[in-house]
Amino acid sequence: MTEVKEKHTRISPSWMTRFSAMVKYELLWNIRKKKFLGIIVVAFALTTLSLVVPVIMYNVMGLPIGQNPDYVIGAGTGLGGLAFFLFAVATVMNSISGEFESGSIVPLLTKPISRTTIFLGKLSAAFLTILAAYTVILVYFAIGGTIIYGPQNNLHLTLLSLIGNIFSTFVWVALVLAIGSISKSSLIAALGGFGVWLATYLIAPIISMFSGQAWILTYVPGTGATGYILGLPGQSPLVPGMAVTTGMDAIGSNLINYLLHPSEEVNFYKTRFGIPLFTDPPLYTEALSIIVFRSVLLTTAYILVFLFVSWFTFKRAQVLE
Amino acid sequence: MLAIETVELTKRYGALTAVNKLNLQVEANTIHGFLGPNGAGKTTTIKILVGLLKADGGVARIFGQEVRGDKPDVRLRVGYMPELPKFPKHLTGYELLDIYGKMYGMTKQERKEQVPKLLETVGLKNREKDHIGKYSKGMQQRLGIAQALLNNPELVIMDEPSLGLDPVGMVEVREIMKEVAKEGTTVFISSHLLNEVQQVCSHVTIIDRGTALVSDTLTNVSSQLSEAPILMIEVAELTDKVITSLEELPFVSGISRENNKMIIQVNTRDDVRTQVSQAITKSNGVIVSMSLKEQSLEDVFMKLVTTQKEAKKK
Repeated sequence: MTEVKEKHTRISPSWMTRFSAMVKYELLWNIRKKKFLGIIVVAFALTTLSLVVPVIMYNVMGLPIGQNPDYVIGAGTGLGGLAFFLFAVATVMNSISGEFESGSIVPLLTKPISRTTIFLGKLSAAFLTILAAYTVILVYFAIGGTIIYGPQNNLHLTLLSLIGNIFSTFVWVALVLAIGSISKSSLIAALGGFGVWLATYLIAPIISMFSGQAWILTYVPGTGATGYILGLPGQSPLVPGMAVTTGMDAIGSNLINYLLHPSEEVNFYKTRFGIPLFTDPPLYTEALSIIVFRSVLLTTAYILVFLFVSWFTFKRAQVLE
Repeated sequence: MLAIETVELTKRYGALTAVNKLNLQVEANTIHGFLGPNGAGKTTTIKILVGLLKADGGVARIFGQEVRGDKPDVRLRVGYMPELPKFPKHLTGYELLDIYGKMYGMTKQERKEQVPKLLETVGLKNREKDHIGKYSKGMQQRLGIAQALLNNPELVIMDEPSLGLDPVGMVEVREIMKEVAKEGTTVFISSHLLNEVQQVCSHVTIIDRGTALVSDTLTNVSSQLSEAPILMIEVAELTDKVITSLEELPFVSGISRENNKMIIQVNTRDDVRTQVSQAITKSNGVIVSMSLKEQSLEDVFMKLVTTQKEAKKK
């Protein structure tokens, strides 16, 4: 008779141990994705263009480049709504759906780690990946801006740009994750996300264009409505005609504006085919603080709703294949 | 102690009942084979046990703990090797086992010792730094075995462990199964290779249409269900005298002959080769060869499944 040894049950690891293992698993995936590396290259190219093109134009026209100490805090990372969407898609389009498509979800779900921990690990890895990418781009942009436009004011406020941009990107991260969790298809996650992006960036402005009012854009992901601080452009001695957008993509710049001009108010005008009618009296006026607070609140709500849908679907998913 | 227990376990996919009130008991410290034709409900049962599917009825327990819901601590005691496992292509074999090891709560030192050892056991030592995307199907299968044994589990569930392996790999897997069983691990193996089950398993359950047809030790299953063995004899010259002397033996129920060869059917499970040999010699026959053909697990399996199908038709 063969002697059989006695087995001892392994001590359950802490939640943090399992979570950090999951973050490492996902981070290694994110940074090795060709799509993500491609987006980084494109983002650097766009940032470089936004730094270099004015220099070329000034040289062509034979004009000296003027000093602009607010260039960096005004431009943030130089990335806009499309870049936020592309970063989100490249980072998470296959985070959940890809696991189901490839079958790698099977060994993962049978490890001693809860589905909620897996979900949080994937989300945290997406956050760290985007944070790292945006930080590098921001530093690059700040150095480039300083070299071209001279010493910059309030560089510490660029941190708000970073936070705002990540926040804005996470609306798309949460949406793409939710579509991916429901469909279990990376292609549908990417195309579905793109469809929503296209709707908010093209269709919503068209609706507002024909209705003559842009307030509706405030409540959908994207740039939002455009208002103007202190009346018409060029009339204010403080911030002449500074444009303020109310959407979720503008959280970073709005936070900076609010810190620099906490008591300012923003005027919104009736539009005709998207062009504000400055000759008419403003339709309504809002405090900058309200705009910032509302955009943060709406963004948080969108993120939480999409993440909940994604988590709930993932938690209940059965692996049939 | 029971490593696995299911009581009236049921799983439906729409109108199809994949697992139908399955009652299964797997004793700890055994190698238990789980057999059944395609679509019998083997993989569905296993997926319920490891938490990939939710049962529609009944109970499934691992070491007494119910597996319903998301139970990471139950999975802490289990190693699972899926049928044709797939792993993230972006990781290397070493990275994958290291990360999975961390999920099991293995310390860095433990992982440093265990991961290379396992990779060597499954024959992937020289490919540990390659991305899994570059692994062949057989290599992924080997990695599947390694990750199932990573946490030195109390129970290993293997779904078709030899699928995609070459003959040498199949033999190695059987040896690994025997080794881990010696270490006190219960091995529950679903396989379509009856020969494999016969070679390594001490217990066997045969299921069809989601219901267990039989579950017992391999010896009992074989003896309970198989018919008596057959003697195949070749003599130098087959005479009527030899045939008559054999027919006079009380346990001989039939003889068929072809040239100098005979197939003798007996109605006893006792080893009667000595008596048969003596009878042939007494009638001046010379035995050239004699062999006893026992019924294999395959014969038992085929008989059970065929009977089940015929019963369903009626």
